[in-house]
Amino acid sequence: MEVWLQLLVNGISIGAVYALFALGYTLVFSVLGVINFAHGAVFTCGAYFTYIFLGGVVGSNGLLAAQKLPVTFPLAIALVLAGLTAAMVGLLVETVAFKPLRRRGAEPLLYLITSLGAGVIIVNLIQLLMGAEAYALPSNILGSMPAVLALGHGLQIRTVQLLLLLVGGVTMLILNIWLNQSLSGKALQAVAEDATTARLLGINSGAMIQLAFAIASFLAGLSGGLVALSVNIGGPYFGISYGLKGLGVLVLGGLGSVPGAMLGGLIIGITEAFVPAKLSAYKDAVAFAFLFLVLIIRPQGLFGKPPIEKV
Amino acid sequence: MPLAMPAAKVLRVSPKWLLLLGLLASCSSTNSNAPVNLNAGLPVGAVLSLTGNANVYGQDQRLGLELAQAAFKPGSSMPLNLIIEDGGSDEAGAINAFNLLINQGTTALIGPTLSQQAFAASPIAQRRGVPVLAPSNTATGIPEIGSFISRVSAQSSVIAPLSINKVMQLDPAIKRVAVFYANDDAYSTSETTIFQKAIKAKGLNTVTVQRTQLNDQDFLNQITSALRAKPDLVVLSLQAVDGGNLIRQLRELGFKGKIVVGNGMNTPNIYPICQRFCDGILIAQAYSPELKTKENQAFVATHKAQQGGRVPAQLTAQAYTAYQVIAEAAQRLNKREPLKGMPLRQARLLLNKEILSGTYNTPLGKISFSRDGEVKQESFYVAEVQMNPDGQTGRFALLK
Repeated sequence: MEVWLQLLVNGISIGAVYALFALGYTLVFSVLGVINFAHGAVFTCGAYFTYIFLGGVVGSNGLLAAQKLPVTFPLAIALVLAGLTAAMVGLLVETVAFKPLRRRGAEPLLYLITSLGAGVIIVNLIQLLMGAEAYALPSNILGSMPAVLALGHGLQIRTVQLLLLLVGGVTMLILNIWLNQSLSGKALQAVAEDATTARLLGINSGAMIQLAFAIASFLAGLSGGLVALSVNIGGPYFGISYGLKGLGVLVLGGLGSVPGAMLGGLIIGITEAFVPAKLSAYKDAVAFAFLFLVLIIRPQGLFGKPPIEKV
Repeated sequence: MPLAMPAAKVLRVSPKWLLLLGLLASCSSTNSNAPVNLNAGLPVGAVLSLTGNANVYGQDQRLGLELAQAAFKPGSSMPLNLIIEDGGSDEAGAINAFNLLINQGTTALIGPTLSQQAFAASPIAQRRGVPVLAPSNTATGIPEIGSFISRVSAQSSVIAPLSINKVMQLDPAIKRVAVFYANDDAYSTSETTIFQKAIKAKGLNTVTVQRTQLNDQDFLNQITSALRAKPDLVVLSLQAVDGGNLIRQLRELGFKGKIVVGNGMNTPNIYPICQRFCDGILIAQAYSPELKTKENQAFVATHKAQQGGRVPAQLTAQAYTAYQVIAEAAQRLNKREPLKGMPLRQARLLLNKEILSGTYNTPLGKISFSRDGEVKQESFYVAEVQMNPDGQTGRFALLK
């Protein structure tokens, strides 16, 4: 029983990251109906920005070799700053890769290509500036807090995981409240529902799309920084595996569904955690196989709406 | 009514087009019957992992090659013209870099960084008759790829058991062992087999074998499962980034026993990854900066002067050695049979023979090669990682 509970804790903590990541995809998908493939690269940016804001020194292989910021920020501020900087990167992606196509009413496939291109450029830019080496945030970043917290009954959780879970949970809660109770959140939902009608009602849909990109990229940057706290930054391609997992979560939860992204993330995380030890190297394949099974039963995903056929 | 499927089209290529393609292909590569291009020195290529997961090794290796270039070029009658290509950290990257360098007319290649890459790329060099000297491939079966493939990196079966012997000397009470390895990596799967044999030979009980993948970052499930088996010792065959991450998470989750790691973590670049948690891990090495030979002391002194007092890593020493072997072999060959005007194909063949027939005084000690290209080396070591209080820097302290 203890082991099952421990696996559940492990699954929830990694699932929260997937959920946070997939929320970014979801927000953009809900307003534009396309997937932003540069999202993984923005996530990677968040990890690197966190490292820099925490006073990290750039390694020896990039153009910025041996450089560091003149100031060092505390963890909480560094994470927020990383999120904000990532949001700016996201806005840049929107301006360069999405806006020109949107103005011309281009095919959705073209957005995929331009966003993929933007992602590749960002990753290469990181490599050029920071080098390809691995970076690690200081292991004592949490100060005097223990590395592991005992939850009783033999259960334990790494402190960074708990932090990840808490920040992820609070962020998702705030996002949910904002979307459903604030005027701007409702305006975003209106644009997602029907951009033309929303425009007729006086909502600036262009600004709402930019807002969606900014929030999605903020979430990506924040989760990139949080994950870097837990597992280090393995290089400029750090975000790729999370990007793939996030896509899985997006589909499982139902395209464009915020609650679906949250639940989907947790389900994928828990599924991975319960993959037997002997098959643990294949946990990605098992998680995606589970996704297929769900989609056979509910092709629209857990919270997605079934397509309405107009006659 | 169902849509009619279009009839499958068969691509018909006329012989004229095939001929044209063949001509284009031959134009893009160097004619191996043409003389070796010695304008900038004897062309030698190096394929290193400068990007991707294995870049932490490539950095060490590039430094070794640069130091060797500075040491062997001046005053040489046949200086090497070293061309370094990034082979990434996967098979495709290494294959592309090998093809590129072979087509540029290189007479020998150093690399690639990973055994996994070598199994994919070295057969290409073998088919084209280009000598390859591997500076860091330790998996079983590398020289067996062919007569043009040799290595200066001693294979895992020689080195890995030493660290198991040493850890048993340090703590004879060890009984239960947990093993981790990446099941999608040739080096890891090869080395773990050797580790597991050594563990069995010592009468220890392997209580769990956990499999990971090279790009894994989160190991909580494998660690949870392994810790349930209550091991006294953990043995890892992983690369530097995933291995460093795993050690950090293992220690954080409360494992207090000894950790033995394989050659994949044989680089000071692991220090910033597992930080203070690297402290105390044991590793068998094919190089010691403390070796008291004239060649090694000169190498260490140069390295320290350039690197702010840091002692060289094994991978740096092995890359330096690979360059030295080719430089000395080329020198000897040129003295006996001048390379000027020699057809490229013949130069590659003779250089390969010369490499394999020589004896070399290198930073690794005196080395030579077996007939099939396996390095013959006299001394091996076991070191313990000792981290400094800053948690970011440390050293491999030799265990006597």
